[in-house]
Amino acid sequence: MTATNKGLQRFYEYRDRIAGLIKTMQESPEPNPLLIRFFTLINEQDKRVIDCLENHKPLIMSHYGNAGEIFAAMDIECYGPEDNLFVHQQFTKDMEESDNSPFPQDMCALTKLVAWGCLTNIIPTPTMIVAMLQPCDALSAVQEAVQNMEGWKDIPTFAPDPTYGRDKSDYVYFAGELKRMIAFLEHHTGRKMDYGKLRDVVEETNRQYEAWAEYNELRRAVPCPHNSFIGGKLGWIMTQHMKAGQAEVTEIMKMLAFDAEQKVKAKQGPLPKEKIRVMWADMIPTWADPIAAWLEQERGANVVMDFQSATPYERIDTSTEESMLLGLARRTMSEIPMIRAARGKVDYMIEDLTRLVKDYKCDCVIFPGHTGHKDQSASIGFMKEACRELNVPLLSLAADNFDPRTAPLDVMKRQIGEFFDAHELGK
Amino acid sequence: MAIINSEAFREFENDAKTLSNPALEDFRKKGGKVIGLMYHFIPEEIITAGGMLPYRMRATGSKGTEMSDSCFTQINCSLVRHFYDSGLKGRMAFLDGVVSVNNCDHIRRLYDNWKWKIKTPYMHFLCFPKKTGKEQVKWYREQLEGFRKSLEETFKVRITDEKLHDAIKLHNETRRLQRELYELRKGDVPPITGAETLSTMVAATCMPRDRYNTLLKQLIQDCKASKGRNGYKARIVLFGGEIDDPKFVDTIESQGVLVVGDVLGYGSRAIAANVDETGDPLEALSRYQLVDRPADVRIFGTSFDRNEYVVKTVKEFKGDGVISVRLPQCDLYGIEQTTLSFHLKKNRIPHLGLETEYVLESTGQIKTRVQAFLESISEARHDRNE
Ligand code: SF4
Ligand code: SF4
Repeated sequence: MTATNKGLQRFYEYRDRIAGLIKTMQESPEPNPLLIRFFTLINEQDKRVIDCLENHKPLIMSHYGNAGEIFAAMDIECYGPEDNLFVHQQFTKDMEESDNSPFPQDMCALTKLVAWGCLTNIIPTPTMIVAMLQPCDALSAVQEAVQNMEGWKDIPTFAPDPTYGRDKSDYVYFAGELKRMIAFLEHHTGRKMDYGKLRDVVEETNRQYEAWAEYNELRRAVPCPHNSFIGGKLGWIMTQHMKAGQAEVTEIMKMLAFDAEQKVKAKQGPLPKEKIRVMWADMIPTWADPIAAWLEQERGANVVMDFQSATPYERIDTSTEESMLLGLARRTMSEIPMIRAARGKVDYMIEDLTRLVKDYKCDCVIFPGHTGHKDQSASIGFMKEACRELNVPLLSLAADNFDPRTAPLDVMKRQIGEFFDAHELGK
Repeated sequence: MAIINSEAFREFENDAKTLSNPALEDFRKKGGKVIGLMYHFIPEEIITAGGMLPYRMRATGSKGTEMSDSCFTQINCSLVRHFYDSGLKGRMAFLDGVVSVNNCDHIRRLYDNWKWKIKTPYMHFLCFPKKTGKEQVKWYREQLEGFRKSLEETFKVRITDEKLHDAIKLHNETRRLQRELYELRKGDVPPITGAETLSTMVAATCMPRDRYNTLLKQLIQDCKASKGRNGYKARIVLFGGEIDDPKFVDTIESQGVLVVGDVLGYGSRAIAANVDETGDPLEALSRYQLVDRPADVRIFGTSFDRNEYVVKTVKEFKGDGVISVRLPQCDLYGIEQTTLSFHLKKNRIPHLGLETEYVLESTGQIKTRVQAFLESISEARHDRNE
């Protein structure tokens, strides 16, 4: 089986599995329309990638936070190498098999999996790569390692270079990188960038982020109207891991916000009694569901905010080409989750942590200590200090956001339980 | 297993064993300011041009990380934990300033933590690009301009282009002399071991440059006069990041191999090229860091060149194999080590990948692995000769 075929085969499996899931949801006694629409979007995305692979159409492999609006405006399909590996994690042995990877085992499981996926060709080869050089060392290094692998060597690659600050000069520089990225895409696809189309796409993503921000506002309510992690999971996947600018995404975010609004008005929450409001100081792990269920059922705790959900909304000015690129530069470098928390100096993350704990009236902070987030682990002193000043306790774990084996759930439950008890949270 | 008998070398060796040294102390007594460089990519020439002493920070002699443990965790590389611990214990109190770049996830937070708790009087941060190109050279040049201004304002000095040109020449002279020393290692009876070379290279980064150059000239003469070493069992090229501990190299060499060449931050990567002595000096310094010198693992898109540079070094120094080293939790060098291993395999160059903590704790495992590697090199040689 050729490299492309093996990856393509995987996409057939993804497509069929999600189609089956949608069917099951539709046939259930109480179908959830929001989730059906969400999974339909995923399914359509997979089908578009399959079409590109089968018919040799331009296809980009890239990552969240690489100004997907530009790909969409140029009508080029894109996939993230890790996306489906995680969506389908529980149905495969990929994680276990990646233990055989020649790459170091002390890396973030996401990067390990990407390296393994490319090495074994379960990730299909694209026609172009737009690499991402932020927010962490491992991600950029792994993408470079991929360039050395058989079958991946000669794929044209562009890597926009992010700076470290949040000043106008940073955004101007990065907007220049985006221009060079557009030139690269034009060169390799023969397509011209249509700035009118980019305006349409950006206006739609503006609406998406606006709806997401509205939803986030509603989660400030006591009790929180929805369960742990909900907005961040949907918002993150739909805005950063799917084709940018789909009106359907805006609709789903609005549906979510509408539902939350009704619950806030009715002073209703998902827990019979919300006892503890948690701030989760990192991305949402792939094992979030079982931990959230335990927190809610056993301890009356709701993770009301996390770094994946806390995407600030700043409208991108679509009046000119320059203003759009500048806005995309700002969004890419300073607003996209994970990048927002990790790129740049520690103050950015601590400011967010402080603001979120206050705004969301959190009783405590849990820091999962993700294996890959070396910058955040080296920020632990700052987090402790911030929490001391806020007068909320901080629990620091040693988990991997993507590999549930690093810190078994039982161990984490025990640690969290002891932490709650020690600080008399929920009493 | 020192082989060189040289007064100049003895001074270098002592300098590399401690954080401060007599020449540095003398410089300070005369009112000189010492600026610590938290990692590479920071042009030392700008500091020299300001009449100050650029000092590559190390944590040589660090005994533990207990004081840094409240600010870092076990997933942080031991280099930053030892650096920070040494800073908190006042072991680098002789620094008047610290300048850093966003080299890696660990270093950039080391800078934040240092600024927070150690409070060296002058702190400056440079944003270094992650790839190379003319736009990146322009960007970093602007960063360097900001650095120059900030040094001028803080220390009330003038860093003119002329002074920069002079400093570039002085540092180029160091590089030229160091290359001359490296050339001597290419022969069949190298006059200096890998550990001795590393001491010599480290010493350059902690003493006034003109004194260093004078001593280095002396050392080269001593090397030329020495009989050199034969009887070693294999010639090794050492690959890694900012390895600054000659003891580590000595441990490898204690197994009967000789480290004849390297691709290290304190080694050939720092000396392979000169800074352009003509034109705008800041642009030349920016271009040197981003384009002219052998690329570092941080620079995306240079992987093939980096790997080829190792192969070229092996050929030039007639290496029998490569030993690469990485600190646990270092993603950059961890991934590089793996990619390099693929490349060396393709080129049929024996390779041993080691992991070691910043402060060498136990040497037993390294020795055992080098022994086994030596055997595999001998077997490979045997197979080739058959
Ligand atoms: S999850 Fe974190 S550590 Fe892993 S690749 Fe993403 S930014 Fe890097
Ligand atoms: S060894 Fe690696 S992780 Fe540690 S400071 Fe150097 S580059 Fe960073």
